[in-house]
Amino acid sequence: MKQYDKIRTHKTFNRTKRMYVLATVLILSFIYIVALVSTPFDINSSSVSTLETLRRLFIEPLINTDNYEKYPEYIGYMLETIAIAYAGIFVATILAVPVGFLAARNVGGRLSYIGKALLNAIRAIPELIFAIIFVAAVGIGPYAGVLAISINSIGMLGKLYAEVIESIDSENVDAIKASGGNRVQSMWYGILPQVLPEFVSYSLYRFEIDVRASTVLGIVGAGGIGAPLILATYQRNWEEVGMILVVVVVFVSLIDVLSGAIRKRLI
Amino acid sequence: MEELPYTSPFYIVFNYIPGMVNALIEFNDVSLMYPNGHEGLKNINLKINEGEFVVIVGMSGAGKSTLIRSINRMVTPTSGALIVDGEDILQLKDNQLRKVRTNIGMIFQSYNIVKRMSVLRNVLAGRLGHTGTLRSLVGWFPQNDLQIAMNNLERVGIEEKAYVRASNLSGGQQQRISIARALTQQPKVILADEPVASLDPPTSHKVMKDLKRVSREDGLTTIVNLHFIDMAMEYADRIIGLRDGNLVFDGPIEEVTDQTFEEIYDRPIKDDDLLGSEEETDEKNESGQI
Repeated sequence: MKQYDKIRTHKTFNRTKRMYVLATVLILSFIYIVALVSTPFDINSSSVSTLETLRRLFIEPLINTDNYEKYPEYIGYMLETIAIAYAGIFVATILAVPVGFLAARNVGGRLSYIGKALLNAIRAIPELIFAIIFVAAVGIGPYAGVLAISINSIGMLGKLYAEVIESIDSENVDAIKASGGNRVQSMWYGILPQVLPEFVSYSLYRFEIDVRASTVLGIVGAGGIGAPLILATYQRNWEEVGMILVVVVVFVSLIDVLSGAIRKRLI
Repeated sequence: MEELPYTSPFYIVFNYIPGMVNALIEFNDVSLMYPNGHEGLKNINLKINEGEFVVIVGMSGAGKSTLIRSINRMVTPTSGALIVDGEDILQLKDNQLRKVRTNIGMIFQSYNIVKRMSVLRNVLAGRLGHTGTLRSLVGWFPQNDLQIAMNNLERVGIEEKAYVRASNLSGGQQQRISIARALTQQPKVILADEPVASLDPPTSHKVMKDLKRVSREDGLTTIVNLHFIDMAMEYADRIIGLRDGNLVFDGPIEEVTDQTFEEIYDRPIKDDDLLGSEEETDEKNESGQI
């Protein structure tokens, strides 16, 4: 057997590369130290002990049967929250398709930069801000929440759709074009059948995110379980906060498990 | 090489009756320069008559695909005139070009069917050029189109697979879908770009036989790229040889000898250039499986 010089699992860095690595490590540790130093770690404790608050938050709602009668009401709010997320993602799934096609480089051409810029702009704005804007526009209630969720979801879904479209093989499109089909037909018959399962999968995934996002929308008055949640925290009514959180955790986990199972079957 | 234009016996007979045999496709000094400076085609002059089954041979990179793809302008030649069915397609605008393309069916090496769609829908995609945009978006094809599609599936022998997902079919069957799709366009010309290069030898022969049969039945002008010499000899009426973008041979199959291929390939013929006959490869396949 031929004997090599010492073999390493990776290529050894040259001088400049080593300097880059060193500089990166130094900068990162500097940022970390600054963050650590500037964060106040002292606790401004209130009159109530922390342990007592935690007990009221997490233990009381589960063991105190007096509170059980309030669960149906919170479950109702939670269902409204899920309905907001569902309506939002439904609209977004449909509207994100044309935007996604526009933003895909292999379909939109130069226009794709416009599509991408639009999607980036949407994604840069948090849902809560959209919710505040829509509450001002259409009034307090779940309708504002649906609008906020759908606009925000278009931002993410459009980008994911565009990436899926960019990754397909364009030969099917060639075949349609070679037979005299126009642009729209080649998208509909060449691209869409290839990407549809991925589209649906991403929409389901985004639905999971939206359910979580719409639980806080109520804070600004856009409907759902967020409203009673924020009220209870203002009143320091920890038992109620705890119960709401239990409902949220149960439903969100259920939906995650369900949609995960569906997504696994899709692709 | 002498510059004798090829004339089939067919042509000689009908040449005296005006309008009977037309050069359906005519290359006049066609050249194609790719943006990277590579010359795909160099001053090609060529006439292909109605109803001919032409096989283009040459080494890979010789410009076979470029030549075939020029005919429906999937690539656009940079100079010369390319007349298809009486129109110089190099001058056409997009929507006129689409109209010409509806008359040209194309078969690809990688089938280019949508694997997640049913066989029938894939075949129906051949009707898209004849279908309005709105109508095709809702997928409401006229019953007549469905009849054409189903008939063509039957002709290539896979009509019982009409509602099966295309991905569930074998390679040979998938290539038959694309033949049926091309036929469903009801074209005048069929272009086949290395149609059997991804298939095993026995299947290759079956697919080529199907292709030859249907194009005979419909009187289609068929232009096929092949790189196996024996296959070209078996199915072609006429052979066109390309080397480095130049037309180096053009003649009926009777004039073609081993020496012709050595001239086209510019080297002695090797075993790799031969696919082997159907029977032989069948045996080879079986012994290979054991």
